Amino acid sequence: MTVIEAGTVHPVSGPEIKNGVVVIRGERILAVGQQGELELPPNTKVYKFPNGHIYPGLIDASTDAFADAGLRSDGSLNGGSKIADGLMWTDSRDDHLIEHGITTAYISIRAGSQLRGQGAIVRPRASGFDLWEDREQAALQLLMTKGPGASHALQRQSQLEAIGRLFDGLDKFREAKEKYEEELEKYETDFEKYLEYHAKKNGKDKEKGKPNGDKAKKEESKKPAEAKPKADGSEPAGRRRGGRRGEGRPPRGGGAQEMSAETFEKTLATIMALLGKPKTETPTTGSQDPKPQGRSGDRATATPTRSPTKSGGDKAKKGEGPKRPKYPKKPRPDPQKEALLKVLDGELPLRIEAHRVDELLAALRLQRDKEIPVVVLERAYGADRVTRKIAAQGATVVLTDVLPNSLGVPGDKRNPYSKFDPTALPKKLNDEGIPFAIASGTARLASLLPMMAAAAIGRGLSEDAALRAITLTPAEILGIAKDTGSLTREKFADVIVTDVPLFASDSRVLLVVAKGRTEYEAK
Amino acid sequence: MQILMKRRTTGALLFTALCTAHLCPTQLSAQDVLVQASKIVVAYGEGSTAATVLTDSALLLRDGKIAFVGADIPAEARRAARVVDYGKATISPGFVLAATTLGRDADLAEGALAFTPDLRAAEAFDPWQKELAQLATAGVTSFGLAPSPRNVAGGIGALAKAGKKQGRIETAEAFVGFSLTRAARSQERMPTSLMGALEMLRDSFKTARVGVQVGPDLAVLRQVMSGQRRALIHADTFAELNGALDLAKNFNFAPVIIGARDADKVMAKLAERGVGVVLAPLNPKARIADLELPKKLAKAGVPFCFAGRPDQLRFSAALAVRYGLDRNVANAALTRTPANLIGALTTVGSLRQGCGADFVVFEGDLLDLGSRHVATWVDGENLHGESPAGAKTSQTTNSAGGR
Repeated sequence: MTVIEAGTVHPVSGPEIKNGVVVIRGERILAVGQQGELELPPNTKVYKFPNGHIYPGLIDASTDAFADAGLRSDGSLNGGSKIADGLMWTDSRDDHLIEHGITTAYISIRAGSQLRGQGAIVRPRASGFDLWEDREQAALQLLMTKGPGASHALQRQSQLEAIGRLFDGLDKFREAKEKYEEELEKYETDFEKYLEYHAKKNGKDKEKGKPNGDKAKKEESKKPAEAKPKADGSEPAGRRRGGRRGEGRPPRGGGAQEMSAETFEKTLATIMALLGKPKTETPTTGSQDPKPQGRSGDRATATPTRSPTKSGGDKAKKGEGPKRPKYPKKPRPDPQKEALLKVLDGELPLRIEAHRVDELLAALRLQRDKEIPVVVLERAYGADRVTRKIAAQGATVVLTDVLPNSLGVPGDKRNPYSKFDPTALPKKLNDEGIPFAIASGTARLASLLPMMAAAAIGRGLSEDAALRAITLTPAEILGIAKDTGSLTREKFADVIVTDVPLFASDSRVLLVVAKGRTEYEAK
Repeated sequence: MQILMKRRTTGALLFTALCTAHLCPTQLSAQDVLVQASKIVVAYGEGSTAATVLTDSALLLRDGKIAFVGADIPAEARRAARVVDYGKATISPGFVLAATTLGRDADLAEGALAFTPDLRAAEAFDPWQKELAQLATAGVTSFGLAPSPRNVAGGIGALAKAGKKQGRIETAEAFVGFSLTRAARSQERMPTSLMGALEMLRDSFKTARVGVQVGPDLAVLRQVMSGQRRALIHADTFAELNGALDLAKNFNFAPVIIGARDADKVMAKLAERGVGVVLAPLNPKARIADLELPKKLAKAGVPFCFAGRPDQLRFSAALAVRYGLDRNVANAALTRTPANLIGALTTVGSLRQGCGADFVVFEGDLLDLGSRHVATWVDGENLHGESPAGAKTSQTTNSAGGR
């Protein structure tokens, strides 16, 4: 058990506590209260900061930490790309988020492509990071801006409308996918019936003492070894019978298009059970690759129907009994469409980077037209003009660049972004009740995350709202608020201690505890 | 050259007359103003000197200047004054931007000639230029209008201020601007190299030192050598800094370096020779070493301040504090130190009696970005921000025992 005592505790979920204490057991918070209220067991590790301030671990809702230069400039990212796969610890200044009190971060890449992959939630550590379980693919990134360069509004509009076409063809894809799943189910049922029929027949043959099974075995042993499926359920390499180049390969995304190893094993077990043989033995009739893939499966279906007939052992005429069902044709795998379907189903939030008012309106129109349940607007500099629409549609906002004049000198006519004031925006969003997070935007500015919130305070935002914008609200936007974002019992023990209030320019992080582990301690 | 110089001299005389007639209107106020606040920082101390702070006190403004401070305010004047009460806010001296061209770089550089030390930046000052309006918003109450760094010897800089309707020149001849940076070298005229630039300056200083009769340009150099006028030299790299420091040593003057990107490489020399530094604004994405440069300069005892865009001053100081600079030094770097570096300490940079009534009002410490900027006053006029709630615009009956 670990106990942290400090002059002031800022739980975010409740009012601040003078002479407060946070009790940690394992990786969760056990209690938050006032010193002396709680009885501590012996052998408790106690950190004492009589003048310090305890806050929940900070959450950076948008950063590019743990991404190397290659990944940051990767223009080939698409909706199917998983950013988590490309992250690495380089020990550079940009990767030391934990020293700045950031215990959770959402990583995305600002590459030039429209769909920029699926961002990941990570937990920075003293020398590395952990991917947040089940949040390796936390949101789909969409770029809906032309940036500060000169462009005509109508030209931008037509380009923005073109983005909507990314969602075209999804219905057909979904239909094909659903049809395939239905057919696969039917195939499995029919195949079971088919096997059952032949098993019964084989049983009769056995009873009659006819050596049909042995013959079949012999035939089977003549078949090439590569026809057997691999243990992982995928098709053997190089097998592309009757298919186009690459069709025989397993899809990268995996999923329902293909019979998994587990399903295959189950089917095999069923076959064996029906045949009354142990699983390890080569099946007599069911060995014709119960897991044919794509077009290659079409040809595989022909053999077993012939086999019993050719064997001559059974006297059943052609066409008698159920025919071996054909393996359904699977739709071509498309991870991007898969991701977009998840977005439409609300399983994956869509994070849209849109800056100007017209871009934001286009983003909101996209949400409305496509009925996208969860939309997060990123870098929404012009959001103050469309606050009501954002609130009406239930979108949330992740703000970056919340530093004085970070977008240029006010009044600079050559810079269309100079009119935006990111420091004033948080108050306006807060007044309209729009949930917003303040994020660094880039790992290089991670140390300034509290200063960004402070800059918003300087423009009228309350301290409580500013603290929420870098703790609980980003946790809510990222869908992890049940585990982090505030000092609440049962949440992860993500706790930081500072020497003076967090929003002071000279505030120093003294201690960082993440999931109950001490990750950073100032010397 | 002689003809040019004559023209310059004539121009200067004409300018002085114009300045007196139009650009420097006397800021007469019909009534004194008593500005009250719970905390008034009269002056930030430099180095280890503590700031002079008054609690629950007041300033009496008269004719655009600080007439009295705190307990020195006569009871009669206090009673007769219009009261502006900022309550719990903090009043600090206005920010001084040591060197800027205020976006008029082209008008503050003589493209054809590299050596023009007697040109006057004040002559290119446009009191109606729109950039002046941004100064008060950023808390800047006065600035050094410097010649562009595109000339090796650019000319004489001025101390100027923004105003309610128009800006004005406070001191037409405040300092001399030199430059050894890349901007001062051109392939279209001499010098084309750093060596050439240094040689040009050395020759000129030598001539100015030994010559019996010198023109107005060399006369300016004489003023620099005699300490009458501050020399502000643009220099960034180690070679430029070294050249500037050697030049200053050879001709016995203490320069102020503008830029000083590689200052940490010549830190000992800077400290030893009492050289001041005007730093470029800090970029939050810069290297840690750059962000910690203010802290290192302070540790070495080198006086420094920030320059650049007006809106970058406060943020630069806050960033420097984030990276370890002492708050008192950072506050001084916004106010007293730049005033001192451009030789204007008696008029701006503090709220002592006789100084301009230039101040900023913040809710809290101005180095914390969370502190709201309430108002900016220049020459006793509120140029930015709101009138405080409960401000009394009529005569007050407060007794002398009050604030």
